Amino acid sequence: MRRSEGPGRRAPASRASRVSVRRLTKSYAVRRRWIDALRRPFSAQRTIVIEALELDVFDSEMFGILGLNGAGKTTLLKMLATLILPDAGTAIIGGHDINTDAHAVRANLAMVTADERSLNWRLSANENMLLFAGLHRMKAKEARPLIADTLATVGLQSAGDKIVGTFSSGMRQRLLLARALLSSPRILLMDEPTRSLDPIAAHDFRRLLRDLADRHGVSIILATHNPDEAFTYCDRVAVLHRGTIAALGRASELAARFGRERYRIWTNNGEHPCFNALVRRGLVQDLTPVEDVDGGFVVECNIGGGEAQGAEVLRRLVESHVAVNRFERVALPLSSLIARIVEAHSTTAATESARA
Amino acid sequence: MRESWALIRSAWLTAASYRMAMFISLFGLVFVLLPLYFIANALQPAMQQTISGEARQYFGFVVLGAICFSLVSTCTTSLPSAIDGAIGRGTLEAILGTPARLRAICVGFMGYGVIWAILRAAILFGVAVWLGAVVVWRGVPLGLGVMLLVMLTYAGFGLVLAAIVMLFRTSGPLATVLLTGSMFLGGVYYPTSVIPSWIRDLAAFFPLTYGLRALRQIMLRGDSFAYVARDVEILAAMTAVSLSVGTLVFWVALQRARRVGTLSTY
Repeated sequence: MRRSEGPGRRAPASRASRVSVRRLTKSYAVRRRWIDALRRPFSAQRTIVIEALELDVFDSEMFGILGLNGAGKTTLLKMLATLILPDAGTAIIGGHDINTDAHAVRANLAMVTADERSLNWRLSANENMLLFAGLHRMKAKEARPLIADTLATVGLQSAGDKIVGTFSSGMRQRLLLARALLSSPRILLMDEPTRSLDPIAAHDFRRLLRDLADRHGVSIILATHNPDEAFTYCDRVAVLHRGTIAALGRASELAARFGRERYRIWTNNGEHPCFNALVRRGLVQDLTPVEDVDGGFVVECNIGGGEAQGAEVLRRLVESHVAVNRFERVALPLSSLIARIVEAHSTTAATESARA
Repeated sequence: MRESWALIRSAWLTAASYRMAMFISLFGLVFVLLPLYFIANALQPAMQQTISGEARQYFGFVVLGAICFSLVSTCTTSLPSAIDGAIGRGTLEAILGTPARLRAICVGFMGYGVIWAILRAAILFGVAVWLGAVVVWRGVPLGLGVMLLVMLTYAGFGLVLAAIVMLFRTSGPLATVLLTGSMFLGGVYYPTSVIPSWIRDLAAFFPLTYGLRALRQIMLRGDSFAYVARDVEILAAMTAVSLSVGTLVFWVALQRARRVGTLSTY
């Protein structure tokens, strides 16, 4: 692993593109019933999974791909890893084309899935690592110190001789990451790596990824269906919906725009006139009483404009002598987030179409 | 071939972790050899004339047939079963995602099974010689060459079967048909000359027929290369065709699995 001091969260514009995806397209044949296949053997229907996708990922960048199940995240990562062939388009990874130079692409990247099955559970962590060191053509003598170093990076320094079958899910996930890091890849493809981790292990794992990008200059593409994971740890996020990018931008901007304006307020008086005043002034939208708790009220609303406007709403409530017991931002479910983004995407497309 | 050795080593360590299975695999040789020894000696007077074109002693004849067949079985089935296991365990994608060459991966997948089969064959051969099997030692180097050709031919069939496993997750009864046909028509326990004429023509399609006949004539009768040249030429041609077709079919199957995205679907 390269130990150069990384650039931290620099602006993408100042960095070189490590991954360039250009009009990448993939479709699969729809599985048909026997009778249909016999009636029309040559008329297979296809479903488009990735459609003319374009994106760039830069040096030392942690790039999130957010999407519901079936959005095309895994297919995209597998195409970048040369495990699936695209129907059209291409991607340039570290200067190499996935269609014509797959071997060089594989030398530049590593993929980590949440699939613990890809480890040999009857071997020790060290033996699992040695196998992949060999597949990367490293000599065992050279690989052993590197393996110890890499296991230490992911916090498994004392588990090298233990059989993987005795590991917890979190340890196996760390081992998968260590296995990927063994070849010092410049690009890491992570497919829902925290899916099977408990919240603390997931938090530690995400910080480790962030550290790899910031300090070691690794470009990370993180596919996830956890908006918090994408918006908190990634530099930029693409929201994938039905194989196309519905939104792409800096994580903070997307979060402010789509994901973080829903608030929940615990108060003693949910019908205080101040709430309606805030709605009239446009500071608060979609005011909804949620439930009545122990004689108090819980109110949900949208507050646009980021944290500053949230603070402004709170200030006005307090100044109006509304008893605010709790005031918190609500994590938006992914489905709602995607629905909002798709709605905004459709509106923009319709407007552009009308102009044209 | 560092990639191949890494896979072979990993397969060895995995197999060694199943200690009882490994013990049975070696100890079971006793149950293969002892019945052969007693039955072959009992049948020696009856078989002496029948096998005279290939050997003088039925015990040596049948041991060499059994050894060759066990190696051929391993060469045919080790790659398809390794691919099948790797798909089931989810390791195939991870391995194909590394920069290791496809050829090295295939050799690595087959390697442990073949090395283990060779070790078992060597033990079987050594014990058979100790029990009295008559071997012409000067023919052994040439015999090993013929054995290698037979193994490579069946490795080519293994590539085709592995391709079918990769596409359909099963090779159906193909391996059984090929190996059973080779056993009964290839002359493992009796020379092909005793097979009824109406089915003997089929024996010509099995590489084992040529390989085993040449092998016995060289190692058990001490015949020169010139005597078996025709069989070796046919076997070499079969090897070339089998490996070429196997490699092509395997590559096409892998590309198709990549295109339809089923490398990790079990």
